[in-house]
Amino acid sequence: MVVKIRLARFGRTNSPFYNIVVAHARTARNSRPLEVIGTYDPVPKKDTYDESGRLHKDIKLDVTRAKYWIGVGAQPTETATRLLSMVGIVEPKHQKTPPRKSTPKKEKAVPAQA
Amino acid sequence: MPPRIRSSNCPPQQLLLNYLDAPLPSSLLPLHRPAVASSTPSLPSPCRRQQQTSSFSTSQPLEMTKPQREFRLFLKRAGKQFEKHEGNGPMYLSLAKPEGGNNTPFPSNKMFKSEPVLSSRARQMIWEAVMLQGMPLKAVSAQYHVDMRRVAAVVRLMEIEKRMEKENAPMAIPYARAVEKMLPRANLMGEEEPFEPINDVHVHSFTMQQLFVPVSESREFTRKDAAKAFGDHILPPDHKMRIPELVKMERDILSGVPQAQAEKDFLARTRESERLFAESQKYVAAKKEAKKLKVDTERFEFRIEKFNSQAVGKRGRARNAVGWRYGVPFNDRQKGLYKIPTSVG
Repeated sequence: MVVKIRLARFGRTNSPFYNIVVAHARTARNSRPLEVIGTYDPVPKKDTYDESGRLHKDIKLDVTRAKYWIGVGAQPTETATRLLSMVGIVEPKHQKTPPRKSTPKKEKAVPAQA
Repeated sequence: MPPRIRSSNCPPQQLLLNYLDAPLPSSLLPLHRPAVASSTPSLPSPCRRQQQTSSFSTSQPLEMTKPQREFRLFLKRAGKQFEKHEGNGPMYLSLAKPEGGNNTPFPSNKMFKSEPVLSSRARQMIWEAVMLQGMPLKAVSAQYHVDMRRVAAVVRLMEIEKRMEKENAPMAIPYARAVEKMLPRANLMGEEEPFEPINDVHVHSFTMQQLFVPVSESREFTRKDAAKAFGDHILPPDHKMRIPELVKMERDILSGVPQAQAEKDFLARTRESERLFAESQKYVAAKKEAKKLKVDTERFEFRIEKFNSQAVGKRGRARNAVGWRYGVPFNDRQKGLYKIPTSVG
């Protein structure tokens, strides 16, 4: 059976909290996984004494175990890929590329009329 | 709410009989009947008791119990002054009695004294001393005789208040003013007695026991030795007090250092100790932050903390293991548990 690295939603109504888990693909979302390798708190938070208003999100991750599971063929889901790619364990799925600039057409050189 | 009676207790015939027994229909009863219905102690049948809440009640006018009657009388006479809060201070029930002062809110509990709170002006003074003049917390605490922890709390809360003001967050200022008006306050202007003791030493329960320690006569037995005798983790009182610099200052004064110089030294010492404490805190925080990997995206900063997922205990259910635990009830909504945060972060 396929082993996946995925998120399991815990927390309460309107306050989600995820365990990053390694589990068989066909098991239920919140069933006991093979291993919990981290947590992801998706609620953005402010620093207490930071006035810039910049928000941050907290992730805890056992990088060694994540690397091991990827190494033995565990398939991360899209969200898990996004989180793992931040640490450099997997290639990011969507890479930001600057928008293509339209190259201006070269004007034909008009022969100078004599 | 009056006691509920099952319908089987009150057959319709009985209702009718009750109605026929009654001398007058309810609409013809005199108008001075109290409008509020409450329980009637002296009614014979359960049916009558059930009728009292109905509009067609034929029961007798209700009599007030003695405490109710006395309370009404109180509201009319001595309690009249408490109807609306007047003046600029507390108005406790003790005012109604000639012998009571104005700091006993509960007349039956004479031991409960209402202690003064810091007035908004006093809080502003503390905030200015710390944040504008840059005085160390210990010095501010010693100057105003306010506990160091309270000084810190005042500064933190004032900072939050000022930030909220800046963010135009909705604030309940009229409410805060009204509550402040109803409480005894300390202005910290120096006329009144000290606000609270600031340098008390916490008494550890280990030190409350009687202990016999054989010591040779020639040996000097200090406070440090005494603390050690009570337990290896017990600190001597000199290490336990919050502002040991105050003791040093008093010693200096006794040894002949002029007052002004001693106070200057005290300020320097407290400043130095605060600097050292801040540095150690910063070091710890920086060390913790350095462990985190920070990834900046356009919208958020992701802070990734590394940890060991194998440390989950023998059965995989260790309390400090990371993540939500499986097969273990999460008692965050259970009653009777303390959910007040114990640290400020």
